[in-house]
Amino acid sequence: MSKDIESEMRAALRPVAPSEEFSQKLVAKVTSRRSAALKPRRVASGWHPLAWWSGAGVAASVVLAVGVHHHLEQQRLQQSGLEARREVLQALRVTSQKLNLAYEAVKSQSTSLIDEQSGA
Amino acid sequence: MRKCTLLWFLALLAPALALAAPNPKLAIPSFSALAQKATESVTITLDPGLLGLAAKFLDNSDPQDAATKEVLRGLSGIYVRSYTFDKDSAYQQADIDAVRSQLTAPGWNRLVETRSRKTHADVDIYIMVDHNQAIGLALIASEPRQFTIVNIVGAIDLDKLHKLEGQFGVPKLDIDPPKATPAPQK
Amino acid sequence: MNDDSTDYLDQQLEKARSGERAALTLLVQTHQRSVYSLALRMLGTRDLAEDLTQEVFMQMNGNLSAIDSNRHLGFWLRQVTTNRAIDQLRRRARVQMTPLDEETQLFSAEEASDPLLQRHLRALLADLSPAARAVLLLRYQEDLDPVEIARTLDMPLNTVKSHLKRSLETMREKTYATSAPRGQVL
Repeated sequence: MSKDIESEMRAALRPVAPSEEFSQKLVAKVTSRRSAALKPRRVASGWHPLAWWSGAGVAASVVLAVGVHHHLEQQRLQQSGLEARREVLQALRVTSQKLNLAYEAVKSQSTSLIDEQSGA
Repeated sequence: MRKCTLLWFLALLAPALALAAPNPKLAIPSFSALAQKATESVTITLDPGLLGLAAKFLDNSDPQDAATKEVLRGLSGIYVRSYTFDKDSAYQQADIDAVRSQLTAPGWNRLVETRSRKTHADVDIYIMVDHNQAIGLALIASEPRQFTIVNIVGAIDLDKLHKLEGQFGVPKLDIDPPKATPAPQK
Repeated sequence: MNDDSTDYLDQQLEKARSGERAALTLLVQTHQRSVYSLALRMLGTRDLAEDLTQEVFMQMNGNLSAIDSNRHLGFWLRQVTTNRAIDQLRRRARVQMTPLDEETQLFSAEEASDPLLQRHLRALLADLSPAARAVLLLRYQEDLDPVEIARTLDMPLNTVKSHLKRSLETMREKTYATSAPRGQVL
């Protein structure tokens, strides 16, 4: 019995593919963002005097810390932005559903009026 | 001295003057008691900051995102409250009246009022206009097991809202009354 | 997945990190079924699933440098998808399951041994708490073992096992206690 339900669960939960249209849209969006996000690499300077390294190490640590902080901030901002985008789409979706209710009511009222007038 | 008195008088009047100006943002109650009874709640509060942030994440190359971005231009707030219940009449009209009563204030005009016997849905759409420009939209939809309040604040371009047709299934809201059929000639 | 495939996808990940579009496309196409299915079965509707899928892959864009292998990518995607879905569900009291006809269209008829039973099981899944639902999906859709599930969801191992045991018992009771003998369609 245990094996039965588990195998049925596996069959029931086989992954399903999204629609072709969505899939294409997804790939297009993700690849266009990636291109925009990539910045050109800086070519390192060829001048490295020995005495410079100790100061450079400290500076590098500071830059790394700032960079990590900036990266985390960017991640947070990205998450918030994507969340806000999702909420905007959901809000407009809800609004459009309710506008549709009004539209259907107006449409059926117009149809009844026309029917009444033509029948009169 | 007179100038001071005048300034002091204007300072006292300022709040009253501010109140007199039309305000398209509704004061929506928390509905916490109803939210607890609801099987599904949608609570969306998007102020100018969040709208601006969302706009940055909308992709111009995508038709839906591009149309949405156009609608968002000039908006300063979108507020949605929607509650779904598992039985009829789980909420009272009085629950929504706190919002509805605000729509009788000066500035609000009822654009559409529909009562459908078929779907048992009542939908009221109000618009606030200032200097020939729509600056606010309010929608109240009451269905047997759900009610929804939408408040959009800002320079709403109804044309652009129209153009969302097909993106979210927004219909063309033809609110003009039908032309009267001419009486048959005897 | 065999070693050759693993190495190949690891190479594609490396190329994607340096901006090669074809490599990034391949990675999205490789993982999108898993991410989309998790999102759909957690959130219940196609719209929400598509939104979440898009968000997750967009977020992946910003994190490719921190992902060191295709296996790690799979783990990361499952983790982000389930956690974000659970967050969304916690803001809503109860999700409505995908309309049955929508999901059966997605399901290939030739794979179904008992489509009615499987549809019933998917419907029961919607009644579980978000955490229990996530555990079952990671176990039976993604074929993860309890240790991997615990890591993905950052959940104690005993909690994972407890969710699995209780959820399966509930599903078994609600399925075999009331169903007709196997082979007979209800």
